[in-house]
Amino acid sequence: MPFVVDTIQVEPEHVAAYIAAVEQHGLPVMTEAGAVFVSCATTSADFGAPVDVQVVWSFDDHAQWNVIRKNLVLDPRWYGYAQTVAALRTGGTRRFYYPVGFSS
Amino acid sequence: MIRRFEIYAVAPDADDAGVSAFESACARCGRFIPEVLHSAVGWNRSDAPVQMVWEHAFASAEAYQRYMVHPYHADVLDRYLLADSPERVVVDDGLGAGLVGYSCDGPVFAMTGGLRRLVLLRLSRQASTAQVNDFERTLAGAAEADDLILSVVGANTLGSAWFDAVTPVGGRPRWTHLWEQGFVDTDGLASYRHGPSSLAEAERRGWQGVFDGVVERAVSLYYEIADPRPERG
Repeated sequence: MPFVVDTIQVEPEHVAAYIAAVEQHGLPVMTEAGAVFVSCATTSADFGAPVDVQVVWSFDDHAQWNVIRKNLVLDPRWYGYAQTVAALRTGGTRRFYYPVGFSS
Repeated sequence: MIRRFEIYAVAPDADDAGVSAFESACARCGRFIPEVLHSAVGWNRSDAPVQMVWEHAFASAEAYQRYMVHPYHADVLDRYLLADSPERVVVDDGLGAGLVGYSCDGPVFAMTGGLRRLVLLRLSRQASTAQVNDFERTLAGAAEADDLILSVVGANTLGSAWFDAVTPVGGRPRWTHLWEQGFVDTDGLASYRHGPSSLAEAERRGWQGVFDGVVERAVSLYYEIADPRPERG
């Protein structure tokens, strides 16, 4: 089962809003499109440095991801979610990960 | 064969490294997805509000469907494109031509160099089949009658069937037809646009009063094939 891993840089004062956007807007849009929510975690906001927010989704295979992508593109809510989180981050990456043999 | 264009407006605040990486990802796509044929990236020089054009083709709808589910598509290309990706380098534009394409019998669009011009056309819903066919024939024959080295026209069937090249998933596309033109260089394009061709004349008049008003709207892009990206101001 592949994973989509977004690692997002956020200023400490925006972390709460970012996480709230993922929970309240991203989760319903992504899961209704067919993605499985795996986790959302952050680095510590206590050290005065920008915070990394890591959001992980999974899917069955790339044929299913193609359908998920189509569902997202056709969902007006996805664009609103994208706009909200874009305004709150300072940078980030998106990478696809594939489990190795000994990882379930 | 399916001829396809992806047309993008680059985000004004996108960093150059990201834009270069996206350009490279498109240009190198055929190395990872062998179904991607006749691939080239160009940078639009017209005043249309888009910058990057990725032109390519597929042998069939099945080949297109394999491209759509290829990991490189999701892992690499979409990284720079999807609205929610933190590495997105493009923005929505008002042109409404992000993905367009048409079917053809073979690589009739192929050019090894020179200048490609893509005219996006919106034909009237009221146009009859005979009118549309006549219009298409006239455009397709332009290379023989005018100074173009290539003239290919096709209905934009991919605009609404972008998911699998077969099934429409949206309404009528904003641009119903694509007219690909080829020129030796920008002088050749200028010579055509300002010359005596009846089609160039029609275009100069905004297509008013020609072909019984079959053309509602048109916009064009042009770019040198394999042209380096211009410096951004």
